[in-house]
Amino acid sequence: MDLASIVGLVLATMLVLAGMFQQGNLMMFFDPASILIVFGGTLGGIILSYSFKQLKNAMVSMKIAFSGQSNEAGDIISILVSFAEKARREGLLALEEEVYELDDDFLKKGVQLIVDGTDPQLVKSIMETELNFIEERHSVNKGVFDTGAELSPAFGMIGTLIGLIGMLAGLDDPSSLGAGMSVALITTLYGSLMANVFFIPIGAKLKVKSKQEILSKEVMIEGILSIQAGENPRIVEEKLKAFLSPSSRSGLNSENEGGGMNAAG
Amino acid sequence: MIELTRLNNSKLVINAELIETIESTPDTVVTLTTNHRLVVKEDVEEVVEKVINYKRKIAFRPE
Repeated sequence: MDLASIVGLVLATMLVLAGMFQQGNLMMFFDPASILIVFGGTLGGIILSYSFKQLKNAMVSMKIAFSGQSNEAGDIISILVSFAEKARREGLLALEEEVYELDDDFLKKGVQLIVDGTDPQLVKSIMETELNFIEERHSVNKGVFDTGAELSPAFGMIGTLIGLIGMLAGLDDPSSLGAGMSVALITTLYGSLMANVFFIPIGAKLKVKSKQEILSKEVMIEGILSIQAGENPRIVEEKLKAFLSPSSRSGLNSENEGGGMNAAG
Repeated sequence: MIELTRLNNSKLVINAELIETIESTPDTVVTLTTNHRLVVKEDVEEVVEKVINYKRKIAFRPE
């Protein structure tokens, strides 16, 4: 579980509700017609903007925003360094049995490629293409929430206009002015709440998570190519550590190994 | 030109003149002057042997 997502959402909801409660009756903030206009409008707008398949992926990505899927580059580096050590001891083919224990498809694919004896240039281009498309999919998922963040305040505004028109039409009864006005403004409130409590933060969280994942995949590509080139595990580790911030580099220590035999022909 | 074997057992012929380094890591990594890297099954001595034989073939008419 990603605690920050949950704490943030609960905190925002609770405190805003508490603030509403100070205004007196919470029920005066509830209006079914406004919910229809804002929710219905925003939902329809999002569906209109994307395909159902993309929407399904975005729903799945929302789960990612709340789940604590760790894509820690540090863990990836430890795995890659241990692979490098194994490859130095027993050769690249020894990594084949390690492949089955991996749960990351991207890393699995990379190791499989070098075990199959694919040319380094080809491995690099295959992995980078895959990474580009992962990035592409992430940006579509984030885009769904960005669209929601744009549409919901707009539908709030539309709802308010509808409410005002209704109110102005019934202007011959001045006593109903205040009530009509407050109902009219509820939709703007709903729209702003939806955008600022839900859509914008989720979009931001997805962006952060996507950055993390892409960084760790870049580390994987670099590591896999280094392993294939038969680089010293120590060097592999130093190379990959360059991706990390100094604070997250600590706690990464591995055995130093001697170099291989060189022959120039 | 010398014939080598990739890890997936496919054969390829490379230009021996372009070999820059041959390393045993313990897989044999042949680096060419074009910066192209190849991982091959033959060990270092075997590759060197092949290069010498190839050069010999070029220099002297084989018996």
